Amino acid sequence: MSFPDPIAVFRTEAAELLEQIEAGLLDLNVNLGDKDQVDAVFRGLHTLKGSGAMFGFEALAAFTHHCETAFDRVRKGEVPATQELVTAVLEAKDHMRALVETPTGDHNAMSEMLLANLRSAVDAAKNPGSAPALKVAPGQTLFKIRFSLPQNAMANGTNPLPLLDELAELGECKIIADRSAIPSLDLFAPTDLYISWEVELLTTQPRSAIDDVFIFVMDEMQLDVSAVEAPPAEKPAPAAIPVPAAAATPVAAVPALTPATSGPADSKPNKAAENVRVPAEKLDELMDRVGELVIAQSRLSQLAGGSGDLQLRAVSEDVERLSGELRDTMMVLRMVPVAHLFSRFRRLVHDLAHETGKTIELVTEGESTEVDKSVIERLADPLVHLVRNSCDHGLETPEDRLASGKPEAGHIFLTARQQAGEVIITIKDDGRGINKERVRAKAESSGLIQPNASLSDQELYQLIFQPGFSTAQTVTNLSGRGVGMDVVKRTIDALRGTINVASYPGEGSEISLAIPLTLAIIDGLLVRVGSGRYVIPLSAVEECLELSIEEDMRSRGRSFISLRDSLVPFLRLRDLFRTGTKPDPFQKVVVISTGSERVGLVVDQIIGDHQTVIKGMSKLHHDVATFSGATILGDGDVALILDVGHLVSEGQQQEAHLRAAG
Amino acid sequence: MTASNVNEDYFCLSQNLTVRAITVVQQELLEFLSKNNSATIGFADDTQVDLSFIQLMEAARIYAGTAGKSIALARPADGPVLNVLKRGGFLEGMTAEDTKFWLHEGGIQ
Repeated sequence: MSFPDPIAVFRTEAAELLEQIEAGLLDLNVNLGDKDQVDAVFRGLHTLKGSGAMFGFEALAAFTHHCETAFDRVRKGEVPATQELVTAVLEAKDHMRALVETPTGDHNAMSEMLLANLRSAVDAAKNPGSAPALKVAPGQTLFKIRFSLPQNAMANGTNPLPLLDELAELGECKIIADRSAIPSLDLFAPTDLYISWEVELLTTQPRSAIDDVFIFVMDEMQLDVSAVEAPPAEKPAPAAIPVPAAAATPVAAVPALTPATSGPADSKPNKAAENVRVPAEKLDELMDRVGELVIAQSRLSQLAGGSGDLQLRAVSEDVERLSGELRDTMMVLRMVPVAHLFSRFRRLVHDLAHETGKTIELVTEGESTEVDKSVIERLADPLVHLVRNSCDHGLETPEDRLASGKPEAGHIFLTARQQAGEVIITIKDDGRGINKERVRAKAESSGLIQPNASLSDQELYQLIFQPGFSTAQTVTNLSGRGVGMDVVKRTIDALRGTINVASYPGEGSEISLAIPLTLAIIDGLLVRVGSGRYVIPLSAVEECLELSIEEDMRSRGRSFISLRDSLVPFLRLRDLFRTGTKPDPFQKVVVISTGSERVGLVVDQIIGDHQTVIKGMSKLHHDVATFSGATILGDGDVALILDVGHLVSEGQQQEAHLRAAG
Repeated sequence: MTASNVNEDYFCLSQNLTVRAITVVQQELLEFLSKNNSATIGFADDTQVDLSFIQLMEAARIYAGTAGKSIALARPADGPVLNVLKRGGFLEGMTAEDTKFWLHEGGIQ
């Protein structure tokens, strides 16, 4: 019996707290007057600080203390919540994560920089008339300069204004005159200088450049300079661009969809249900064991089926039932709601809005849709690419939107729903839509398609997933290099998923990802083609028909069957797999579909249903498009799992060619 | 220095409000305030200004506050006066009272 490592437990809890803090900050950013969110963020920071100190994360506790103090002041009404303050704490939150993950790392420089930004944000919030806080970017140094000139400086001909001008020329500068030493007029020596200055200078210049400004008065003046240098970024952080005022404008949510920036009730910490925290790897281990059990059960069933022992058959049936229930329970344990995945996009969209200067609202729907945890993990990167692309290329600038009669704020809709053993995740925007002409021109110029090739819209849109394909006229740090969309395609293919693209000029575009709910065990239909056995995912099977020899002969060259007054193309797997065997006299057609598209697969024999434990293909075979994996059968043989999406697509292409040929 | 009597409390400043002339301005302003409970300070568009004038006005505000008198600018700071306020870092962190006095924002002090 092993006890969980308390440090690991703290890290897990800290990660949850940080997520809650981030959600609270993002909600607060939309409604800066929301006291509930201020309280929630404060409580999160307070708990994180306390727990951190308790588990020996001293640097985390000390750093978080400053953020907690800032929010305590907001809570008490001493400082108003501002977008600058929220942004500063959001960045500080990212640093807290680093302090949790690598507490012994050298974080001092980053801590100092972030705290300087936090102080500036608090100061700016306190004094709304003052300039926005200066934020340190990599390569820059924030100098805090305090100086006073000799009292007789002006009488001796020194004018402080040119000195201040020279400082301002060194970079971004915030100058504050300290007037506290000025006496009353009747006690005042008018040629004396009573003013001193505090200057924040954000510059790429060295400290010596500041000394040079004061070189002629250096001996008699008081000069105090401290520097906060920007350390290397901890993450591919967005550029520190001031928040556009428009970004604060909340826009009414689209009816029937839930705004991601919903009220406090939606973003409250998870209910403290009676849960047991289990490490993900333990769950994977258990899944492997269940997989092995399913394979062993399959072998037992086969042996029992071939035996005349009725008791053995009864036991075998019990084991089959129990292993099926165990598998179902296991699958439920692995299912997690996509809310966890979607929540990270709120921050991404928030940061992208800053970077692009656009006003963007993320609207999510179907967060409670559950998907296997390994699918969720692998979906994150493709979705990041797609959301980035929508924000950067899909949505227009606020000016362009207003000019075309649209609301200033652009929307990204992220939705999830289950449909026939698949989860459909849709990323939709209300931007300009995909420019078909530009896609075609780019594809033609790069040789992807022949000039004037006849392509359906869907075929044309699929070209955007080709490596290096980009129609962006400008490359930004977000997207436009043609890198990313091919990664999306590869990842979705690896998940045995499909991508569907729709676009409406001037109204926006929509990319739907259809992904199997699980990657671990599926119900399959075991079939024989020649001497080989194959598994067809049962969720894709619509019906099975018999293909008589006469029909087979009649359909030669056309490969269509008539199914309730509609022609369905079919593929002869025996030909496709080049088995070199003669067809069985009574072949079967297994009709499979992905959404509205159907295709028949001609097999020699339908063996029956089969609980299929999916094993990945070897590196040597992973790019064989027709198969999505393999499984071990009860007798120890290996059966390949057919890639339904690929086969349907191939069948549809065959249909299109035949139709085109008349 | 010329002080005209357009209004009873109107105190018009000379065109040189730099350190070279500031001592005289201080004396005349003190004298004016000793005779009046309020002073409305006027200055020309092309006045020469440096930090000594800003200091002087700040000192006058303190004096007026303690002596139970009031002082205001005849018009919001603009041109050379505003330029010195900006370059000198006076616009940063202004209080509501400061913005009322210098910029006439939120009502005249």
